[in-house]
Amino acid sequence: MFFELALRNVQVNRKRSVITLLLGTLSTALLVFSSAWMDGSHQQMLKSAVENYSGYIQITGEDFRENPSFEHLIFDLDSLQEMVAEDNEVDVLTPRFESFVLYSVGEKGVGGMLTGIDPEKESMVSRLHASLKEGEYLSRGDTNQLYIGNELAHRLHVTIGDEVAFVGSGADYSFAADMLIVKGIFQTGLFEFDASSAFLAKPYFDMIMAADNMATHVIVLPKNTAQADALAGKLGEEIGAEYQCASWLQTMAPLVKSMKLDSVFGYITLAIIFTVIFFVVMIYTLLAVFARIREIGIMRAVGTTPRQIVTLLLFESSMLGFISVCVGGLIGAAFAWYFSLHPMVFAGMEEQFKQYGLAVSAIPTAFEPVTILRDMLVMFVLLLLSTLYPILHVNRYQPIEAIHHV
Amino acid sequence: MQMMDMSGFRLLVFFFIVSFLNSPLFAAAEDAGSIVKKIEENLNGKSAVMDIEMMVKTSRSKRTMRMKSYSIGQEKSFIKVLYPRKDEGITFLKVDNGMWQYVPRIEKVIKIPASMMLQSWMGSDFTNDDLVKESSLSDDYQAQVLRETGTEYELQLLPKDDAPVVWGKIVMSVSKQYFLPTTVAYYDEDDVLIRQLSYTDVKVFGERHYPSRWIMVPMTSEKKGHETIMVVSNALFDVEVDEAYFSKRALKRFSR
Amino acid sequence: MYKLALKMAWASLGRRTVRSSMVILMICISLWGLLLMQGIYDGMTEQMIANAIRSDSGQLSLFGHGYRLDPSLQTTVVMQTKSGPKLAEYLDNDARVSSWVKRLRQNGLVATAHYSRNTELFALDSEREKDHGGLQKYLVQGEYGFGEQQKGAIIGYKLAEKLHVRVGKKIILSAQDANSEVTSVALRITGILKTNNLWLDENGVFIALARARTFLGMEQGVSQISIMLHDDHTLGELQQDLQGLFPGNDILRWDEMYPALMQSRVIMKGFSLVISIMIFAIAGLGIFGVMLVSVLERIREFGIMLAIGTGFAQIRAVILLESLAMGISGFFAGALCGGLSLYYFKLYGLDLTLFSDAFEEFGVDAVTHAIIRPDYFITAFVAVLLATIVSAYFPLRILKKSRPIEVINEL
Repeated sequence: MFFELALRNVQVNRKRSVITLLLGTLSTALLVFSSAWMDGSHQQMLKSAVENYSGYIQITGEDFRENPSFEHLIFDLDSLQEMVAEDNEVDVLTPRFESFVLYSVGEKGVGGMLTGIDPEKESMVSRLHASLKEGEYLSRGDTNQLYIGNELAHRLHVTIGDEVAFVGSGADYSFAADMLIVKGIFQTGLFEFDASSAFLAKPYFDMIMAADNMATHVIVLPKNTAQADALAGKLGEEIGAEYQCASWLQTMAPLVKSMKLDSVFGYITLAIIFTVIFFVVMIYTLLAVFARIREIGIMRAVGTTPRQIVTLLLFESSMLGFISVCVGGLIGAAFAWYFSLHPMVFAGMEEQFKQYGLAVSAIPTAFEPVTILRDMLVMFVLLLLSTLYPILHVNRYQPIEAIHHV
Repeated sequence: MQMMDMSGFRLLVFFFIVSFLNSPLFAAAEDAGSIVKKIEENLNGKSAVMDIEMMVKTSRSKRTMRMKSYSIGQEKSFIKVLYPRKDEGITFLKVDNGMWQYVPRIEKVIKIPASMMLQSWMGSDFTNDDLVKESSLSDDYQAQVLRETGTEYELQLLPKDDAPVVWGKIVMSVSKQYFLPTTVAYYDEDDVLIRQLSYTDVKVFGERHYPSRWIMVPMTSEKKGHETIMVVSNALFDVEVDEAYFSKRALKRFSR
Repeated sequence: MYKLALKMAWASLGRRTVRSSMVILMICISLWGLLLMQGIYDGMTEQMIANAIRSDSGQLSLFGHGYRLDPSLQTTVVMQTKSGPKLAEYLDNDARVSSWVKRLRQNGLVATAHYSRNTELFALDSEREKDHGGLQKYLVQGEYGFGEQQKGAIIGYKLAEKLHVRVGKKIILSAQDANSEVTSVALRITGILKTNNLWLDENGVFIALARARTFLGMEQGVSQISIMLHDDHTLGELQQDLQGLFPGNDILRWDEMYPALMQSRVIMKGFSLVISIMIFAIAGLGIFGVMLVSVLERIREFGIMLAIGTGFAQIRAVILLESLAMGISGFFAGALCGGLSLYYFKLYGLDLTLFSDAFEEFGVDAVTHAIIRPDYFITAFVAVLLATIVSAYFPLRILKKSRPIEVINEL
């Protein structure tokens, strides 16, 4: 009975209904979209930082992350790789051997990282290949061919085809040196990385650095990247205490933290907007309820209890709230979905993004049904709460008072 | 009355200082300086030519290298690697505070930059810096005799104010017989032992007594199981060493 | 006539206290929130910019040509052109310049018995830096200055953490000198800085300029000259003048050295604008609803007024005044609350660690001091005015269309 009555009332009080609906819909759409945008931009930043180089899962020798010395290498790369590859959830895995060397060209010497990689597999787990700027990417059979960061190339004053000498130490601490030829120049957009890194194909690297069957890292790309953390935990147990297995949540902890920080600001801003919306809905409910104060007075006079009236009014609000949350949720979701497929491009903001380790300027929204439902629920509760005061307020009037209210 | 007290106090301080100046401790401190000087002379000579074998042990590997070194005093030295084959012909030149390296494989003379000074030298537990500042003990440290036994002095070396050395303290045992060090312990500023160098197997080369075996053991947990042993198999002291070794051109020229 | 309108407006507002006060409260709270948001966000961005300017770039920095891409001791600031004036004299005498300092910079290595790290050496005159960027205000431990014999060093707090050193400890700094020779010097840490300029906190080693000159063998020449101005607006002009007079240098504004910070500022401005528009649009909707209802429920009243000869203009005035009265009361209440809380946060700062303990890792000061700009209030006032007028306009149109005189006859 309440339901039908409420429905009728909603239809009769069209103005109030329309505006409440409109506001509810708008704010729900806004909330859903802003969350999708915020989450999306954060995910994109993390994804980009993760996929740029560091990878979803890093396996290292025990203690290597705290103390990256050649004492804590992966010493039996082949059997580790076999073990990891057995897991069905692993898509691609690739080894890296990072070492600190001195690059030298002419009189100039610059310290930097020299890393041995498997070129084909590396291009599947990171954006190294995609960041090619000039020349060519590495291939597995390459010998002394170097893939060098743009800023490092600048610092050494070299370009494609030029020679770069390096000295460093091999995995067995022996002396290592070679003359390398620049084959390709990359630019990920992350200054520090581009100013200090260069790569060699691992087979050749292993030969000159005495690093055969050894690595500093094994990078794992999970089939389902969303499950990286769980997979890292699982792999960690499978491969034993000799190794350390960390997901990007650990390797990129500061970035994850900074994203949370950004969300804090986002939600504070939304909270301010919602406070205003809360008031507006409250005002409209108040107006609507008072427009019907005589009606309510008569109902009370003929024996309807205050409780029943509150129930009826709440039914009305819930109905309006429900409809607007649904419609708004759908609209917000539609936008979230559209922009997740067609990312917004922010040209000219690269510098700002680079701070966050983000080297691209297109940002897709995150289309996540669970988050959307959560936001819809939050909005529904908010809408309902905002009608509470007017509804309770009207019941303070005595029936006769109400009937005579002008 | 108060004035009296004050002057009495000053007098006391004066006497204290005077008696301190004459104390055996202070006298020994002067002595300690000359002990260090003597040690340096004994270790370096006017000039030296040596054949050295270096064994580098880590928790999982062991390597041996052989090299020949030429030096004049503490300021100039030239080292050429003879073994293993892959590193043969690598040469190092140290003149004052500068260090260069020539690598035949890349046919290139490389100046070791400041940022590499504390890196390991040829994978050993010695740093480039150790080679460059090898024996400026008397310049950089204030020595003091801690203890004296029938056969040994124990010296404590504290870095002088301006000395660009990372150590907080060096404790050195010196044999009275040869005026050569036996052990040298390196501490940080908080008195934590970082590494220990031992000189053993004193042999006679020409007219000079010289420790033929040097053992460097890092004491930090990161370098557990590491050890570098240098064995001097042959040495000529105070011979004429061609000045030509100590120029950048020599790096390449004497590489072959 | 308007006196009457005012009276009427006041009376009708008073008749619906709950409703009117709710509108006023709404405007007040939205304005309060908006002001707080703007003031604190701006405070944050400006503080980051100020940190970068004070600790490093100044408003304007001079480098030798090409220094930034390839820093070396050989690339120094050109202090004088052949026929032109001397840079130092020019800067001393230019009325736009409030202060300027010289810095010699070099990459190097700091080491203790345990650790070594690559660093950037900043050799400077600590006394001049005091009045320039107020470097001493960033000190978190120890004393500002390099000790009596100028043998001390002040280092960034993150660097100190990484080297595991405290005030009083010794560090060895090695760097290439003017002749490309490696040279080392022992330094005693006299102070630890926290500038929240991330690069400096992680890499900066500050030593006395005179000490660096002997240690690096650089009797003259500096890598950077940092300039502070009296007035921001003369920045571009001074940059051009300097570029014309001392062409051998790269002359950069702070926003050219820290483009990310400038972008932050621009993004924040745009963001605030969008949020303000949204908030006022929504608030406007609230006022509109109240005005509409209040007009409609008095339609017979107005009909009677019109019937007895009151002009429509007067009725319009009544309605507008009602709307304005609510808007302006809301504005003053909100501006007062917002202004007072901003003033409080300006004086005492807002401790952001309330929200998260991670701010400092990203170069945001833990305690942010709000900024109060008159234009916050002016914009808000105009926006409130606009919102109230627009929200009174539509009910008025409806009133006009519904021909109130006829309405009296209904029922």
